[in-house]
Amino acid sequence: MAQAYSHGGRVAVHAHVQECGSENCACLKGGVGPTGSRTAEAGFQWLLVLSGELCPAAGMAGRGKLIAVIGDEDTVTGFLLGGIGELNKNRHPNFLVVEKDTTINEIEDTFRSLGSVPGSVAEANPSQHDPPLWDEIDSWQFLNRDDIGIILINQYIAEMVRHALDAHQHSIPAVLEIPSKEHPYDAAKDSILRRARGMFTAEDLR
Amino acid sequence: MKDLVCPLAVLPTAGGDKEGGGSESDYVSMAALDLRAELDSLLLQLLGDLEELEGKRAVLNARVEEGWLSLAKARYAMGTKSVGPLQYASHMEPQVCLQASEAQEGLRKFKVVRSGVHAPEEVGPREAALRRRKGPTKTPELQSSEAPRDPLNWFGILVPHSLRQAQASFWDGLQLAADIASLQNRIDWGRSQLRGLQEKLKQLEPGAA
Repeated sequence: MAQAYSHGGRVAVHAHVQECGSENCACLKGGVGPTGSRTAEAGFQWLLVLSGELCPAAGMAGRGKLIAVIGDEDTVTGFLLGGIGELNKNRHPNFLVVEKDTTINEIEDTFRSLGSVPGSVAEANPSQHDPPLWDEIDSWQFLNRDDIGIILINQYIAEMVRHALDAHQHSIPAVLEIPSKEHPYDAAKDSILRRARGMFTAEDLR
Repeated sequence: MKDLVCPLAVLPTAGGDKEGGGSESDYVSMAALDLRAELDSLLLQLLGDLEELEGKRAVLNARVEEGWLSLAKARYAMGTKSVGPLQYASHMEPQVCLQASEAQEGLRKFKVVRSGVHAPEEVGPREAALRRRKGPTKTPELQSSEAPRDPLNWFGILVPHSLRQAQASFWDGLQLAADIASLQNRIDWGRSQLRGLQEKLKQLEPGAA
């Protein structure tokens, strides 16, 4: 079954599901391909999307997105108390407790895996990022979490991976910087507010 | 009669090109005026959003700080190691989900939704099982597998009130986080709209730029 799909078709299907966010999208029911053309292959692909076999994210569209948290022990414990935690049978959590021995690489890897836009890497370089075979598709999904809507991160941790935060330009997942017990919130360091401050130049104000 | 015969006199002659050029500049200035008005309204909206964002951030920070204080009180009551990652469940299901809707292209709105219904605590049968102490306690195991567990249950059956207060504070924080995420997205969207309008204005009025 996996061999029936073209590489570009599978990537396009996945990207479209993420755009519309719903398996009940009219495009899917009509059997229309991503470019608007009706083909037997496109119809077959959309049917599999509807059934959730190709893209498990389509099955998750109905239940909404998750909130992830990267922070110190108290912050993560508190938000998990609020009910955002997910730890499924594949042991992939949507939270990271940053301790003294947590490396910056670990934080960055977790942030990137939580904040990656689905299909973006594959679409940019399809030859280098050929989707795996059917059996490996689950691991491919978890490398690019498409079920995260918001990432909460302590600001002092965000400072460690500021370059990764500044490179994240997509609207979803949204990144919120929150204070920690030892480091109060500083609006001057917030990525969003820094971008907003750079809205105007001296010429614009004349 | 001459007036009736010669209606073509009123038609623009070759010397009327200057008048045509003037009308074009009027059109450009009107378009620039409209753009400036649109820029002004967008800028006012952005400034309002930034002010609202600042207010919500202050409330979120306050809620989170309340939550930390409540957690500290719970830790004081239950023990230092009793409230932390060691108590996290091995299998978690989210009680809270995020609904993301797209009002316009690039403009998203987030809303926090509670998923699942919290089953009321059934204290009676458990207490009876504990009192009788006969046979295996099957009832609590069945209950734990039926409905998603409240995270409070990770820390014991009877938890101090401060832990519940912490949960309430962080739950309020999640609501505010969704509002802040929506505002941030709207500010980013407004920024991109503002840049687009400024570019159009520069094209219309290159001299002013």
